[in-house]
Amino acid sequence: MILELVRLAIKNLSRRRLRSSVTAAGVAIAVAALYSLVSFQRGYQSGLKSELDRLGAHLLVVPKGCPYDAASIALHGASWPCYLKSEYLESVRTTPNVSVAAPVFMSAVYTPDTGVQSVYCGVERNILGVKRTWRVQGRFPASGEVLVGSEQASSHKWRIGETVGLPGLPNRTAKISGVIDATQGADDLFYFLPLKDAQRIFGRLQELTHILVRLDRPERMEEVVNSLRGCGAGLEMNVVPLAHLFHTIENLVQSTRMLLGCVALVALLAAGAGLSNTVLMAVVERTREIGVLRAIGASAGNIFSLIWVETQALCMAGCAVGIVVAAFGSRWIEEWLRSRLPFAPHGTLVRPEALVIALCLVSTLVIGTLAGLLPAWRAAKMAPVEAIRAAGGA
Amino acid sequence: MGVVRQEKSSELCVVVRARDLTKIYHRGAEEVRAVDGVSFEIERGEFVAVVGPSGAGKTTLLQLLGGMDRPSSGSLSIAGRNLANLSDSELTRLRRDEIGFVFQHFGLIPTLTVAENIALPGLFSGRQVKDRVTDLMDRVGIAHRRSHRPSQLSGGEMQRVAIARSLVNFPSLLLADEPTGNLDSQTSERIIDLLSSLGSDNLTVVVVTHNERLAEAARRSLVLCDGRLA
Repeated sequence: MILELVRLAIKNLSRRRLRSSVTAAGVAIAVAALYSLVSFQRGYQSGLKSELDRLGAHLLVVPKGCPYDAASIALHGASWPCYLKSEYLESVRTTPNVSVAAPVFMSAVYTPDTGVQSVYCGVERNILGVKRTWRVQGRFPASGEVLVGSEQASSHKWRIGETVGLPGLPNRTAKISGVIDATQGADDLFYFLPLKDAQRIFGRLQELTHILVRLDRPERMEEVVNSLRGCGAGLEMNVVPLAHLFHTIENLVQSTRMLLGCVALVALLAAGAGLSNTVLMAVVERTREIGVLRAIGASAGNIFSLIWVETQALCMAGCAVGIVVAAFGSRWIEEWLRSRLPFAPHGTLVRPEALVIALCLVSTLVIGTLAGLLPAWRAAKMAPVEAIRAAGGA
Repeated sequence: MGVVRQEKSSELCVVVRARDLTKIYHRGAEEVRAVDGVSFEIERGEFVAVVGPSGAGKTTLLQLLGGMDRPSSGSLSIAGRNLANLSDSELTRLRRDEIGFVFQHFGLIPTLTVAENIALPGLFSGRQVKDRVTDLMDRVGIAHRRSHRPSQLSGGEMQRVAIARSLVNFPSLLLADEPTGNLDSQTSERIIDLLSSLGSDNLTVVVVTHNERLAEAARRSLVLCDGRLA
């Protein structure tokens, strides 16, 4: 009986195709907004977390200034506006509980002809103690050599042992000592040089851009942070615990998310109201038909179910379209969101997930249920005598 | 003893029994007695026409007989059940299981095919009606139109579909409100023949009509005037 009722409901909806389509489109827009928002939220959180995990450090030591800008540059690669003195490295290394303090000199070179930005990182061998997820084909570079991220190696079709011109640095060559397997992060796009080579090439001997710090006992991070801030070089550097960074960036994004959340909620409520109005209108137009159904044996419950199923069918059709549109349009949605965020992790932010689809379905079910209650109740309480009266009898 | 048996047998034969049946509507301060103290009985298999001028209360009487409205006073029993004692859901069951309706406007669902329209009461009763639908389509001569929608049918065909639909749940009483009201005379003749033939199945048929030919085809006529039987 339920299947028959669903079939009947769907057939009834096909009666006024344009009106049904417009109403379903309203639901689709709301669901697409909800889907994009929730997918983005989950994608952003997991992307940020894995990006920070890939960094491998517990602490980031950066020059004085905005620590979040500095963290963003360290994660995504760019030229730094200010530098740390190399001598600070010793203060960091000698701080109790510091297991690894890996110095990095990072600089980016822009090639106007191709529009490509090449990011170079000067590192020491101890970077491998921080980047524990790296799998290096070949070996760590010695002077005059370069370790290449997987994406750069494959785009240039470079092989280990080959001597190549360094992109964006005219007349500079280096021998490829190794290639890092794909990390799905920004490291895939970087060129890693020995620290001294990078400092010399960019004319910043005795300067660093940041220090990646790994602790022996991460639970004692506060002590280490306080020690570093209290040491002689403490006034010249920012010590950023990455767990705190994660939460701070999350909070920054929260306001954007709240705004989008309100948009999705308003869209859902508006779609629900539109849906309710459409079905209510259909009920009024079908007064005689509902009366006929009551006369031929439909109970009030049957009529309630029929109208409720019609509302749900309309709602679910909109939901399905919304999910498909959002899934296929996720690339554009992601680009739009990225352009409005202060910090966005590398990788896909909006991706289809069963949980998100389930959430959209449940939300739609709730909206459909609420929207369908009034018209279904109104139809169910209609007296069967309406049928003959509507026919114009005396 | 013999008298008692005869009464019981007569009781079994009566499908509709109305006693002093009255229906009063209130139109503002005005009281309208649409049906006014009407008493009658209709036996199983009878074909009865309810006739009278417009506004005489014919349709109101039909609504009362169909359990779609409740009388203001008096008693009415259909198929042995006193309507005054029935709840709304019991009235629904009575309409579903005992009564078939045919409307002047046909009352077909435009999105359903002929076969689906005829099977519709089965959806609400939960009965398997597939074979019954096929039989009825053959009987009313609409089998060749089984997959057509109402908009593709003529008036006469639509009314035949409506009659078939009213018979799906094997009712004991068929109520028809102006079944030929929207039909031309030739088509009306076919519908009258069809309704007349239903009595042979022991089905009681009550039609409200202005059509003299249909009233003549009925075994008995109840003439209503100002809500009273003339």
